[in-house]
Amino acid sequence: MGAELFDLRPALAPLVSAVCAGLVMLVGYRPGWRAALAIAAAVLKFGIVWSMLPGALAGTVYAISFGEILPGLALAFRVDALGLFFALVSSTLWVAATVYALAYMRGHPGQQRFFGFFSLCVSTTVGIAFAENLLTLFVFYELLTVCTYPLLMHDGGLKARRAGRRYLVYTLTGGALILAGMLMIWHLAGTLSLADTGILGGIDDPVALATIFVLLAVGFGVKAAIMPLHAWLPAAMVAPVPVSALLHAVAVVKAGAFGLLRLIYNVFGVDLMRELGYADVLGAIAAATIVLASVIALRQHKLKALLAWSTISQLSYIVLAACLLTPAAALAAIIHLANQAFAKITLFFAAGAIERGTGATRIDELDGIGYRLPMVMVAFTIASLSFIGVPLLAGFITKWYLSLGALEAGAGFYVWVMAVSTLLNAAYWLPILYRAWFRRPGRYGTTARPVSLLMRVPTLICALYVVILGIGAEAPAMPFALAESAVRFAFGMLGVAP
Amino acid sequence: MNGPDLLPLVFMLPLVVAALLPALALKRPELSWALALTAALVTAGVAAVLTATLGESLALRYPVGGWAAPLGIELVFDRLSAITIVFSGVTALALVFSRTLAGGLGPRPALFHALVLVNLGGLNGFAVAGDLFNLFVFMELLSVSAYALVAAGRGSGSALAALKYLLPGAVSSLLVLFSIGVVFALTGSLNMADVAERLGPAGAPAATALAVALFASGFMIKAALFPLHFWLPDAHSAAPGPVSALLSALVVKVGVIGLIRGQLLFGEAAAPALSQVLMLLGAVAIVAGAVAATVQSELKRLLAYSTVSNVGYIALGLGLATTASVAGSLVHVGYHGVTKAGVFLAAAALIERTGLHDIEDLRGLGHRMPWSAAAISAGMVALAGVPPSAAFVGKWQIALGALEAQQPVLIAVILGGALLALGYGIRVINALFFRSPTHARVVAAREAPPSTVLPLVVLVGLALSAGLTGALMIDFVGPVATAIVGAIAETPGGR
Amino acid sequence: METVLAHLDYVAVAVVFCTGLYILLARQNLLKKLIGLNIMETAVFAFIVTTGMVDDGDPPLLAGDLGPAFASPLPHALVLTGIVVAVSMTSLALALIVRIHCEHGTIELDELLDRDGS
Repeated sequence: MGAELFDLRPALAPLVSAVCAGLVMLVGYRPGWRAALAIAAAVLKFGIVWSMLPGALAGTVYAISFGEILPGLALAFRVDALGLFFALVSSTLWVAATVYALAYMRGHPGQQRFFGFFSLCVSTTVGIAFAENLLTLFVFYELLTVCTYPLLMHDGGLKARRAGRRYLVYTLTGGALILAGMLMIWHLAGTLSLADTGILGGIDDPVALATIFVLLAVGFGVKAAIMPLHAWLPAAMVAPVPVSALLHAVAVVKAGAFGLLRLIYNVFGVDLMRELGYADVLGAIAAATIVLASVIALRQHKLKALLAWSTISQLSYIVLAACLLTPAAALAAIIHLANQAFAKITLFFAAGAIERGTGATRIDELDGIGYRLPMVMVAFTIASLSFIGVPLLAGFITKWYLSLGALEAGAGFYVWVMAVSTLLNAAYWLPILYRAWFRRPGRYGTTARPVSLLMRVPTLICALYVVILGIGAEAPAMPFALAESAVRFAFGMLGVAP
Repeated sequence: MNGPDLLPLVFMLPLVVAALLPALALKRPELSWALALTAALVTAGVAAVLTATLGESLALRYPVGGWAAPLGIELVFDRLSAITIVFSGVTALALVFSRTLAGGLGPRPALFHALVLVNLGGLNGFAVAGDLFNLFVFMELLSVSAYALVAAGRGSGSALAALKYLLPGAVSSLLVLFSIGVVFALTGSLNMADVAERLGPAGAPAATALAVALFASGFMIKAALFPLHFWLPDAHSAAPGPVSALLSALVVKVGVIGLIRGQLLFGEAAAPALSQVLMLLGAVAIVAGAVAATVQSELKRLLAYSTVSNVGYIALGLGLATTASVAGSLVHVGYHGVTKAGVFLAAAALIERTGLHDIEDLRGLGHRMPWSAAAISAGMVALAGVPPSAAFVGKWQIALGALEAQQPVLIAVILGGALLALGYGIRVINALFFRSPTHARVVAAREAPPSTVLPLVVLVGLALSAGLTGALMIDFVGPVATAIVGAIAETPGGR
Repeated sequence: METVLAHLDYVAVAVVFCTGLYILLARQNLLKKLIGLNIMETAVFAFIVTTGMVDDGDPPLLAGDLGPAFASPLPHALVLTGIVVAVSMTSLALALIVRIHCEHGTIELDELLDRDGS
């Protein structure tokens, strides 16, 4: 791999928002200071992460180690292509989410705690992205669970408590399984490093390998909402919209998917996975999730619930793509981290804006909303079309490469799965678009409550990104090249474009 | 002053100051707190200096009165004795905490402070005893002062709780004394290193087994290892706030350290039976303690059962008898002490301010007492072992040891215990922050004064971040772990 | 039988110890429990002293005509300390029992537990 360079930035990126979180909790009782601190941290982090892009594209790997916290295991950061890609997505979306949240949460109680933990969540997410070894990843993974809990519970009440309890039971059990898997890997292989392609390469024990895979796949799969481990996600809709946007687009679910990518590409490695054949099973489960979740989405009446099930379905695209074990599919998996994130966050922002502006939460209340909130609905339209897979938008790129990868892998069946999924997506997004643009405004379409520009603009910007990712993906110096770089590394190819 | 010459100071200082305190404070009662705190802090400093002097060597030895071992009494400061830093530090912080609790400390605060110092002297002396006799004496010192401290509480049940603590404690001390007698009969010596050498050649397996059984049972009662833990929930929940912290964090550890010294002393005579017993009881304790904690309605009883569960972890690590797991147990002794002290002090703050003991009564207190509630919340998370908290290190090492010892099922026990701990921790956090108040006293409550909040913040902060020093600590106790494993595995075919 | 007679001292210690333990566990009156504890302590002290005994040995007094065999003085020191500890513990226990009696009016454990409701 490229030259490893010692640099402070991998550590600074998570640190900035952690410091901000501390400051917000201590002195953030004035709304002005809170906003300033939150935005400053988000922008700083954005800057730090993006500043590492040129170097990463040139092949440099930034690394920093903090010394051992357990014998033989250090807390260390290492910015490779895959990690930087994830961090880019997170930090970019965080700026948008912070602005949106400041507007959405205005007037809500407990904002100090909210923004404190909000900032901590992004710290831990970037920590996961930059983790050099499984232990560091696990530390930040568990901290992410702990930090998202107060946000989930923010509005209080019985439903929140139930959702919170379910969230914790699922994610903490998942964490325990990951820990068990880690222990076994450490015991067998003597290393937890994610810097290579396959640390379990030399292990000869099929039972142990199978156990490790199951433990880690289930452990990460909880947060990645693979069925049947998904039940926490729809319940988590009870949280405020910025939190749902975070959980569903940026932090928690992507961390799970990212963990699965690391599992397949760095812990087991492509070759070992091909040998063992576990990926086929996981791929099949992912495909089932894609279809099933979409079918359930069809039957939803509340907008946020629909978005939740759509998320479950879309995440399994990433898992399926990774399990196909071909370069094209791997590319699809990585870029879908970004594509899904931007599109889904757009949809959530739109849902929140609609709720604020008109009080509508159900799909059948969305008649004529397009004329009442044009900016928001344009963004919604772009994002939902992207999920359907309309060319020139981000979602199309994913489906293209995924189908290519499926054909490469000789698993043409999955192309059919893609087609079915596209149809199902159309089946639930198009009616909403029809209602919004082609129906006369109902009761909800005419209620007048101003929606802050600070909420509408981020929504539109994220939708714009969806377009950019769709059209300009292959332009030079775009993160797309990072994804390609990551794929090349995972497959041991050098200088060969997929 | 030479390094080892400081050794007796680590227990003499608190004892002497304790003896003088009531007299010194007769005319000026407000002095007693300051004197006691100074004594504790200086003792902590001495312990730190001794640990630093230890450096690469295994132990510092101090022959009392110039009479060399094995005839003379010897004080030994080895790496396990570095726990005296934790003992002294936590005691100092508990004293800081108790500054504003004057009402709950009995008629004369000077007596309370003196008892705390006697307890500290006993704890430190126990940790540096090189002689079975000294071990017994210091054990009694700290036990009797602990019984008296439990009785210092305000409520009408505290005398009974103290007596219910005293009786099993006295029996356990007797068992240990009996064992010491048997050991003396077998070897003619009371010096621990000497006995370890002479016990094998003494060639009396039945008597040695009896000595092991008595020694182990006595210390298992003191450590509250399931099922000999029955005295702990009552004692730790009925005691006044800072005393509960001292008991759960420090005094209980005496049992564990005793078991460790016993393993070093009896060596292969103890294995494999003792290891098997520790492993089994430890595993059961982890689960039983955690399950019992989950169903408690009183906050302090929940924490007391959490201690039972954590002692189970330590016992399990010792029982697995691999270098990794024993090292994990050793560091957990210190780490858990810090964490549990922080959590108990935070609980004490919440309880003293509102006068309410039940978790459900304390609903909504998070917004009136943000610092204390945040401290206990963070502490419960740290207690469960979420990395990078201190408890994570011990659990990781013990789990690793389970893998090495071919007992993978125990990993499920260890992780299950951690999940349950998170469960009851979240219950407390939920009640404090995410429920609305149901009790008038909660609504009227105000945050505790800074002198009370400071020790909480320090201890919980340490508990959350000390996991980062894990590698250092494991390396530090490494030689002791190797010694223990070596001692109990000398015969081929032994574990 | 010979073994019992040969080790009569140890047998006696065991009997006394168990008697004390029985009283401690079976009796409900707190004072009686304390007495049981004291009996157990006495048994242990007796045991320790006998371990230092040497048949036909002289008492360990540093006088001019000390024979070749004398009883070991070390257990005596151990027992003296033990007695002091036992006395302090007993006095603490007695003080607690007095206080319990003042607060509850009874020193029978079953009544006290009933009252506590625990």
